[in-house]
Amino acid sequence: MAAEAVVAAVDVGMSVEQIAASQVGMKAIGAGLAVGLTGIGTGVAEMGIGAAAVGAIAENKDFFGLGLLFTVIPETIVIFGLVVGLLLLFL
Amino acid sequence: MGVNISAPYIYVCTRMRMRKSKLLPKEEYQRMLNMSVSEITRIVGESEYKQEIDELGTTFKGIDLIEVALSWNLAKEYQKIQEITPGTLKQFTQVYLRRWDIQNVLTILRGKMQGVPSGKIKEILVPAGSLDKVALDRMLTEESPDRIIEMLKDHRMFPVLTREYPLAKESGSFSHMENELYKHLYANIINDAKSGVKGGASFLAYIQLEIDIKNVKTLFRLRADKVDEEAREMFIPGGSLSLNDFASLNAIKDLNEFIDMIRANISNDTLHVLLDEVKAKKGGVQYIEARLTRVQLEQMEKMSKRNPFSIHPILVYLEKKKYEVFNLRALARGKESQLPSEKIVDYLVM
Repeated sequence: MAAEAVVAAVDVGMSVEQIAASQVGMKAIGAGLAVGLTGIGTGVAEMGIGAAAVGAIAENKDFFGLGLLFTVIPETIVIFGLVVGLLLLFL
Repeated sequence: MGVNISAPYIYVCTRMRMRKSKLLPKEEYQRMLNMSVSEITRIVGESEYKQEIDELGTTFKGIDLIEVALSWNLAKEYQKIQEITPGTLKQFTQVYLRRWDIQNVLTILRGKMQGVPSGKIKEILVPAGSLDKVALDRMLTEESPDRIIEMLKDHRMFPVLTREYPLAKESGSFSHMENELYKHLYANIINDAKSGVKGGASFLAYIQLEIDIKNVKTLFRLRADKVDEEAREMFIPGGSLSLNDFASLNAIKDLNEFIDMIRANISNDTLHVLLDEVKAKKGGVQYIEARLTRVQLEQMEKMSKRNPFSIHPILVYLEKKKYEVFNLRALARGKESQLPSEKIVDYLVM
């Protein structure tokens, strides 16, 4: 695999160091996308739940705990993104 | 019909649902039917109306206490809702609440014409519309009705008031003016809903439902009272019925034929079930009216589930709250006049 890449890189005139650097760069972009996009997803999902939770809490304070719990459930999405990001960077 | 998924809409619609869940359940009314006025006052004082009952407890007693506390609470609630609703929802809520302006202005005009003292008139006003407490107080200090109408120069109902008031003054009856004001209000509401504002379609659907139910109620009432003249005047345009349909429905003498014609003209499943019920068992006009209101509320509930983040959840709450106040008032008044429970039940919307 790496040998093929080296052959291909030699074809376009890249050194082995350049290939290694671009691989690290690609991983970093992937990790960034994973965390960034899942972050947006979480934000969109939490918007509705958070708005409804604040509405419910405004009417009845007892909903605070439950409202908070439901609001943070979509955090799992960004955690998945974070895990994928970490795997990309450190494995 | 667009589903508006924006945070302020979700927020306010959830608040309305929470408030709706705090309204008195049917069982509570059943229990209250076996209570005296003072017991009802106590129960009311322990519920959402606590603040008003406590505040007014020193000034009013018995039935007056309940009545004034209920009106105050309703007005406070409606003003609060106008504060928290965002954007176009606020505009629609205000347009919807404008009917209270008509009621308040007519109450003041009627009171002034009959020489009722300002304090007494003030007790029955519900400052829920665009005319708040301050504006109404200013109107109450005026003695002449002409001056009161002049004060409403900037209000949307002013053209109708100036057109109809001389006639009303001459005949001594405001009923024609009242009809005209409501027709003008509905025409205005339909105009606003059709102006292409976001969410206008769902508001229009509700208004058409309300106009339909109102027209059917009027038809039943006209039948009960056996009044033929002026029927056309009471018709509100904008719903499924046309003026000609309305007039021909009113001309039908046979109840079964009348009900079949309404069925053919208005398509609404819940209404059809009620009409079959009326056909089978003849209830009094009061009972039919309360049931028709129930039909309207049920239909609105359905609409609010179909459009969870629209004007519908707000309107459902506003209407339900209004009928809770009406029910409690009917209960207290009925008990005060020592009506039997079976008779009071006919007046309750539950």
